[in-house]
Amino acid sequence: MAADTLFRRITDYAHRADPYPLYAELREAGVVRQEDGSYLVGTYHEIAALLHDPRISSDRRNRAVPDETAAGEQGVPPSFIGLDDPEHHRLRRLAMRSFGPPHTPGRIDAMEGEITRIVKDLIAGFEGKKRIDIVDDFAYPLPVTVICRLLGVPTEDEPRFRLWSDTIVAGFDPTPGEDPAERQRAGSEARKAMGLYLGELAEKRRNRPSDDMLSAFINNEGPDGRLTQLEIMTTAVLLLIAGHETTVNLITNGILTLLRHPDELDRLRSEPPLMPKAVEELLRYEPPVQMLPQRTPLADIEVLGVTIPKGAPLILMLASGNRDPQRFRDPDRFDPTREDNQHLGFGSGMHSCFGAPLARMETQLALTALIQHLDKPRLVEDPPPYRRSPVLRGPRHLLIEDDRAGA
Amino acid sequence: MNVVVDLNRCQGYAQCAFLAPQVFTMHGEESLLYTPVIAEDQDERVRRAAAACPVQAIVVGKEAGSGAR
Ligand code: HEM
Ligand code: SF4
Repeated sequence: MAADTLFRRITDYAHRADPYPLYAELREAGVVRQEDGSYLVGTYHEIAALLHDPRISSDRRNRAVPDETAAGEQGVPPSFIGLDDPEHHRLRRLAMRSFGPPHTPGRIDAMEGEITRIVKDLIAGFEGKKRIDIVDDFAYPLPVTVICRLLGVPTEDEPRFRLWSDTIVAGFDPTPGEDPAERQRAGSEARKAMGLYLGELAEKRRNRPSDDMLSAFINNEGPDGRLTQLEIMTTAVLLLIAGHETTVNLITNGILTLLRHPDELDRLRSEPPLMPKAVEELLRYEPPVQMLPQRTPLADIEVLGVTIPKGAPLILMLASGNRDPQRFRDPDRFDPTREDNQHLGFGSGMHSCFGAPLARMETQLALTALIQHLDKPRLVEDPPPYRRSPVLRGPRHLLIEDDRAGA
Repeated sequence: MNVVVDLNRCQGYAQCAFLAPQVFTMHGEESLLYTPVIAEDQDERVRRAAAACPVQAIVVGKEAGSGAR
């Protein structure tokens, strides 16, 4: 089939359960221009190079044809994931002050006990059920509870921000064909509403700090200044969404992949120290963030003999790079002991994932506890039903039956 | 003994310093300090740090020179 329809086919919901053959076709085709003027890159080395190239912008306002997400947000600027250096660097550093080293080196490590306890409580909640939904009963509530605790957001407000979050995620769904303007406008509105909500929570903690990031954002003043009110809002929205819309998929993809590879599941059950490497392999093999749809070249650039014009939408297919045989031996094989696994699951370069240490720890603890608890788990449906988004890809539900599920 | 690593060469914003903060310490934003002699109770943390290091620069276990213990 024509290479210029690849993006339409990749984003087509019918291919959500298994987009990997399409990625192979993409790597074969090289850099391909799509019907709508956007460009796709799916080979590992080219993606990695572009992620380190200062001529590639993450700010959608640099597009030749700015869309609603860029133009429609009256007064609400992008968060740092959508900005370039030096602004990106300034904001990321200010946010990092209250999240990790050098200023707060122990924050993630100190959460281990609490994450372990939340995992245990969720597993205790299986009691009396023969059939559990890994998404609703486990993989979704865990990161939500953790990110709420980290930011200082009441978990009871989850129904409120879940709605906003769904709308925001739908707003940046790049699926072509349907008119995106309405979705993008709704996404911007939701982003504003969530920002106001989080800004208010932060404001309540001014001069009354508790041990959470919103408190730190509003009260801490470092040598390089502090976040403004508006920056606190956009940064908190970014952390809340990035913190739970992705980890849910890594945990769920993890269980799904292990149930499809029972020998590896048995091995991890008897050798728990292998889990950290197994999670890296999951990030390569079934990455929760399949693509980065928001890059734009600031000048004409040439990649694999194709000129990508300044201002064109540039889409980097991380999940395809992760299966590139030029980089990974036997790339379609799930191998939890793989050496040399520099995957693109958390991106690469200046925007590489801010929350990676937390996501790694949550997933390692969650998968270890879950496979120790379950006895002979069976998938009820394979493939399971998937969430809509082609960017943040993962099952909507994952039903399993187990003799011990609720024991 | 402490060893200093140039953080400008790290491809992952010092993942190790988040996951095993008693062993790998950021020294400002430019360099990383680490203690090659690792206490027993840090094993699991160091294993997590090793898996997360994007360039597999951390070697754990016997091959890392058990003489250091
Ligand atoms: C398994 C879970 C996760 C995956 C797969 C993931 C993946 C990614 C990827 C691929 C990027 C790069 C985006 C780009 O280059 O445009 C990114 C950036 C980011 N992630 Fe994550 N993420 C995860 C969990 C988290 C968590 C738990 C948090 C927050 C605590 C978080 C916060 C962020 C932020 C703030 C950025 C923007 C970084 C920047 O622009 O400098 N992520 N993530
Ligand atoms: S050991 Fe790895 S993660 Fe740590 S600073 Fe060096 S390269 Fe980065």
